Amino acid sequence: MSEAFEALERAIRGGDVAAGAAEAARMVQAGRSPKEIFRDCIEPTLADIGDRFSRLELFLPEMMEAADVVKAVQEALRPHLAADPSLRTSKGKIVICTVSGDLHDIGKNIVRAMLEVNGFEVRDLGVDVSPAAAVDAARETGADILALSALMLPSLPYMRDAIDMVRQNETLRLRLKVLVGGGPVSRDWARAAGADGYGDDAIEAVREARALMGTAE
Amino acid sequence: MLGRLDDVVERSLRGPSLEEEAFNRLVVQGIRRVVREYEIRPEKGVLVSHEEALIDRVWQAGLDFLAGCGVYCQSTGRVIRFGREEIEARLHEAPAEIWMGEGSDARLERCRSVEDPRPPLNMGSSIGSPVSEELFVPVMVSYAQEPLVDVTCGPSLMTVGGREIRSGSPLEIQAAWREVEGMRQALARAGRPGMAWTGMMLSMTQAGQLSAAGPLGLRASDLHTFGVISELKTNFDILNKLTHTLHIGGIVDPYANPIYGGLAGGAEGMAVMITAAMLALSVIFMATCVGSSPTHPFHFNDTGPELLMASSLAFQALARHTHLMTNLTVTPVGGPGTETLLYECIAFTVLSTVSGASRILGPRSATGSIPNHFSGLEARFNGEVMRAASRLRRNEAEEIVRRALTKYETDLDRKPYGKPFPEVYDVETAQPRPEWLRIVDAVREEAVGWGLGLDGVGTE
Repeated sequence: MSEAFEALERAIRGGDVAAGAAEAARMVQAGRSPKEIFRDCIEPTLADIGDRFSRLELFLPEMMEAADVVKAVQEALRPHLAADPSLRTSKGKIVICTVSGDLHDIGKNIVRAMLEVNGFEVRDLGVDVSPAAAVDAARETGADILALSALMLPSLPYMRDAIDMVRQNETLRLRLKVLVGGGPVSRDWARAAGADGYGDDAIEAVREARALMGTAE
Repeated sequence: MLGRLDDVVERSLRGPSLEEEAFNRLVVQGIRRVVREYEIRPEKGVLVSHEEALIDRVWQAGLDFLAGCGVYCQSTGRVIRFGREEIEARLHEAPAEIWMGEGSDARLERCRSVEDPRPPLNMGSSIGSPVSEELFVPVMVSYAQEPLVDVTCGPSLMTVGGREIRSGSPLEIQAAWREVEGMRQALARAGRPGMAWTGMMLSMTQAGQLSAAGPLGLRASDLHTFGVISELKTNFDILNKLTHTLHIGGIVDPYANPIYGGLAGGAEGMAVMITAAMLALSVIFMATCVGSSPTHPFHFNDTGPELLMASSLAFQALARHTHLMTNLTVTPVGGPGTETLLYECIAFTVLSTVSGASRILGPRSATGSIPNHFSGLEARFNGEVMRAASRLRRNEAEEIVRRALTKYETDLDRKPYGKPFPEVYDVETAQPRPEWLRIVDAVREEAVGWGLGLDGVGTE
């Protein structure tokens, strides 16, 4: 990576929100285009952080902090990003939650952080979310993907309810993909339930989300 | 105990108010602080630590962290927090032994020390793993009939009357009662009707567990289990289960399963987190016994080197500084019919035994997530390992754990889930098939060659 981006890269890796936002603003003022900043620094740095997590060389807190820095950079550069639609930095919009009857959130949080560092815009609805609330949120936010997690077997019927709601909606079924995962979910279950994608773990969830967005590498 | 419960409930209603995301960050900052301040730096490659100064610092770090962080109540958005002196005072009140079960099938669990020569109790079971309705009884007979199994736990029914079980619905209550009926049948068939058990792992809401806990269901002499949400979170469903258990005089047997690579980070943070979580179970949830099965985020097991190291540090810290009855669950990736499962049991159970665990649960074979992939024979084997390991010193255990790990470490990505129960057992007779027995015999013989005294165990 170019030396010009060293300070921003350091801020992302170190989780330094203030330094990251200030450095991005300084670079834009100095004539660097936001597109370059994202393409040549932020995206490769985040991709590396995601790869390192998949090898457990770093952990969830570092991913959360890197994502925080990037959100701050996006905020700092908002006027520039809004002015030029070609500068859209998101790889896709995802609504994520753990479904009804399930209160476990660490697995879902790991998937959320992995999606964020891989360029997805994620809205997290939390845990114990009803199928209707999950689908409503996906509709309201114009999400591309509804990502549903469950750690417990008795939550699976609620997951299927959400999938059914999407499938039965004429508009939503054409544009909203459903991605599922978690302990009791298998690829066979996902296929039988009518989900569009299945992730066995956070790494596979990112791969699957990319495939659903048509941006698989 | 009910006075202490009132105090906990009061703190859940009046404690500091915090958004859940802010609490998560408090956990991250707290763990980082104590890992730094207490210099939690385990020697690389050492699985069964015998560095007592480090173990004592893990204890101090866990105590300090819990006093600063507390436990988050999702129902109120408030933190239940106890100061360091309050934690220490309540730890002194914790029981050091408890009878479980009834009549001649009752067993005494006692707190153990590091390198304690008395073996831990063997809770032989697949703990909440998904099971088909028709296999529930034969599977449970396969565990309960084993002389080396002391207490047990039910798997989770996948359906009830052929219908999918839905959390919080009447089907959850139906499933809980079906589990009680199945367990009673299995224990009677095995000739051990008084054996203590726990279950209702699928009862995520309070409905199933509260309905089926009582004289006609899960008895006071049985273990009443609930899980704290990772990391360090609770809610009114969990506190309601606790309240009911205290009122019926049941054995409070909760668990907390921190996630490796999650908010606590790597092995150093996990050692502190496991320690703190066990203290929280005792202090806030008034546990009779406290337990854990720390979890890998991609393999979903606890038999990898980082978690072995963290578990040993934490459980030695607890054994050296408290009289808590502590338990660990072996959750291997290997399933029935694989050597991998047995090597994982050797590593985890030898390490847990010398580290002072008073009860070892499992094996929760094939990560506890593959339907019907578990059998009583692995619990027999694990019971043999517990007895043999209770004669070991930590340096001897280290050597055996290392040798076992070498045999399965490269299998963890491959996840050899093995075979379902009907392929390794005769379902009618509930006896293991010769092929599975041969595999167990071969691994047993190999482990004897490593210095693990499995020869003669079970015939003593």
